[in-house]
Amino acid sequence: MTTSSEDVLLQVGQVRYKKGDGTLYVMNERLAWMMDHRDTVSVSHRYTDIKTQKISPEGKPKIQLQVCLHDGSSSTFHFVNRLGQGAQVKDRDDVKELLQQLLQKFKCEINKELEEKNRLLSENPSLLQLYRDLVMTHVISSEEFWSQHALQYMQKHQSQKQDIGVSGAFLADIKPQTDGCNGLKYNLTADIIECIFKTYPAVRKKHLEYVPHKLTESEFWTKFFQSHYFHRDRINAGNKDLFTECAKLDDQELKKDISAGIEDPLVDITSFEDKTLDEGYGTGGDRSCGIQSGNIVHQNMIKRFNQHSIMVLKACQQNTLCHSGSERLEQSGVPEKQASQSNESSPGCSDHLHTAKKLRIQEKLVYDDLESDSKMQHQGTELSLSRVERYLHGPMPGSCEDVLSEDDMHAVTTRLQREAESWCSVSRPQPTALVNPAAAVSALGELTPGGALMKGFEEESLAQLVPADLERELKNLYMSLCELLRHFWTSFPPTTPTLEAKAVRMHEALHRFHSARLKPFEDRVLREFSPLSQHLTSHLNQMLNSAYRKFATWQQRKMQALR
Amino acid sequence: MNEEVETSLLVIVLDTNPAQRLLRERTHNLTQCLESVIAFANSHLMLKSANRLAMLACHSRSTEFLFPPPPAAFGTQAAMLRQVDGQYELFTHVEKTIRQSLQQLLMRDTKSEPVGSACESLLAGALAMALCYIHRLEQDLSSGRNMNSRILVVTGSADSASQYMSYMNVFFTAQKQNVTLDVCSMEQDMSLLQQGCDITGGLYLRIPQLQGLLQYLLWVFLPEPPIRKKLVLPPPVKVDYRAACFCHRELIDIGFVCSVCLSIFCKFSPICTTCHTVFRSPGPLPIKPKKRKIKLN
Repeated sequence: MTTSSEDVLLQVGQVRYKKGDGTLYVMNERLAWMMDHRDTVSVSHRYTDIKTQKISPEGKPKIQLQVCLHDGSSSTFHFVNRLGQGAQVKDRDDVKELLQQLLQKFKCEINKELEEKNRLLSENPSLLQLYRDLVMTHVISSEEFWSQHALQYMQKHQSQKQDIGVSGAFLADIKPQTDGCNGLKYNLTADIIECIFKTYPAVRKKHLEYVPHKLTESEFWTKFFQSHYFHRDRINAGNKDLFTECAKLDDQELKKDISAGIEDPLVDITSFEDKTLDEGYGTGGDRSCGIQSGNIVHQNMIKRFNQHSIMVLKACQQNTLCHSGSERLEQSGVPEKQASQSNESSPGCSDHLHTAKKLRIQEKLVYDDLESDSKMQHQGTELSLSRVERYLHGPMPGSCEDVLSEDDMHAVTTRLQREAESWCSVSRPQPTALVNPAAAVSALGELTPGGALMKGFEEESLAQLVPADLERELKNLYMSLCELLRHFWTSFPPTTPTLEAKAVRMHEALHRFHSARLKPFEDRVLREFSPLSQHLTSHLNQMLNSAYRKFATWQQRKMQALR
Repeated sequence: MNEEVETSLLVIVLDTNPAQRLLRERTHNLTQCLESVIAFANSHLMLKSANRLAMLACHSRSTEFLFPPPPAAFGTQAAMLRQVDGQYELFTHVEKTIRQSLQQLLMRDTKSEPVGSACESLLAGALAMALCYIHRLEQDLSSGRNMNSRILVVTGSADSASQYMSYMNVFFTAQKQNVTLDVCSMEQDMSLLQQGCDITGGLYLRIPQLQGLLQYLLWVFLPEPPIRKKLVLPPPVKVDYRAACFCHRELIDIGFVCSVCLSIFCKFSPICTTCHTVFRSPGPLPIKPKKRKIKLN
């Protein structure tokens, strides 16, 4: 059983297992024991199967090592080195040490896998149900379940996450918690950090520079929040700071943006303003000077807000090159100072600007779909309908209405008149009973549930007869069976040997399901809800039977082909 | 006066067309129908003093109100309001008026010369009249009072395709106005009226035997629509909503619909006969080369 590729890491002789002497091998992936003078391994445990190892306590006469497996069984190895107890303990400890290292390594792997599976199960109740129904009842094995039936869940997990945008209020959303002694605690998630990086590229740069080498992650962020950069408006002094440079960079960026102006004429609110020519005849444009003379703190604040907005918007534009009008409109909230400067754009490039502006306005005014539509109408033919009355007709009159001749009609009419004469005569005979009892009883019979006129009523009430838990159970049964059937049918037509094997396997699984799940359910329903009897499971059985039939015919064909 | 009394208006449309097989074979059936319907109408009035009633006779060439009588005839009727046999005066009045009006209608029938062989019942027209009447009463309703209205059709004839459009208009109007349409068919299965019942939330019942007519009426159609939910009544029938093709006017399960004018055809034709749009024929389905069986040996 030992393959040559497996390295033996440690080999310990004179180890007793179940009253047989042999050698214990500690290998790459498993623990093995071989009886003396034999060439087959009689005990072999994969490390992934081993839960823990135990050793006999100090002072016991027998030096033993026990490995407990995940399935609950265990194996005990007795170290019987002839050189005495010291050597025995040494042997045991060697094995123990090595095993400990190896187990640790494998445990990590197995834990990760288990955790992943656990998470999947807890996140998907339907998958959990499927697991319960199929694996716990031994309809299919656990490995098969994970490799085939849960595949889509596993894959879904691996799918790429969508990039999220930057919220304008993301900095405000980081709620600091006071820790009671004059300190603040900021909880940063990966998302928030990503947002900060996107919005402030300068900070990202700093982060790259500093983090692993000079500062730890948390130190960096502490500094960031303490810094003058973050609190720029509140603290005016202090310049020895990690982020001073950032501020400078940001200012440069802002200046660049301001000088670039707004290229979209539709959101440039300065051009919306009415300009009269009588004051200064169009030469004196800087009215904003008057407004600028406000409080410097206010100005700083507004500048900061604007900058933040610009940064957030830019962060959005970086990855998605689309610029929708709404985003631009937000930007149009950027007021006074910036706008006033856009007026002063040099006349040299005004020509270029002019065409761009025209294009932009054109873009807003002209709708492609409308344009082409109107053209179509000129070219296309008009709808001309013929025989419109056909819309108004119902189906052909049935054959039933046999046409009466005029004479017949006349005869019936006269008879009816004669009949009617008796209605109003004063000496009208006392009316006999309008409904005779027999007719009334039969009419009532037809109208009570189960009667001829109440067909279909039973089926509806079936739904009321089924209690909720039974319904849930039935639903689960359907889910499991459908899953199995789905796999069964996907293996048809079985063109390759693997598909053939799968068909056989799924067929067996179906049989197991039938006996392990469906039969008990049917028995229970029959016992507890006798009126329902076979109604509930008839469709399930039908599906199963059609699968069995398909399998049987396939097998038969195969046999014929072989012959 | 916290208790608000909801009025229930019942409009009965009685088919008295002499061409119905029921009447042709046994004229006494009409008397029986009439008596049953009158008894049913009186039961309706008896349920609540606020309940209201109207009744129309649907004939082969005309439709007339049997009750309430036309205002002109009212003067003569008033004199008759006298108690007979201890019967409640209103019931006597209903009974006598209906009988008399129907009698007059039948008598008039011979006088007017028969026109052609058109002898189908004008049910759609009668329904329209009933809807108009209901609408008028609803308009007159004083504020704060509720009225639920329904129309009951009692007929022995089959539904006719020639009135198809009128039927559809009537059904959708009724649905819009919250008028329930009930149909009690005495002989034929009426797929068109079934649709009407289904749309308006009414009941369709084809009774198996005429003898028990009153029993069926009282059992199934007497409760007003708001109460019906609480009763065990015959389940709604499966309604055949199939469309008829334009070419043969036959009901089809799967058809071809012109994407331009929405005409329905039972067979594919390259040119739509209604709007003359030219379609490309859907080419023959690609036939897969048949797989040869691989012998496994």
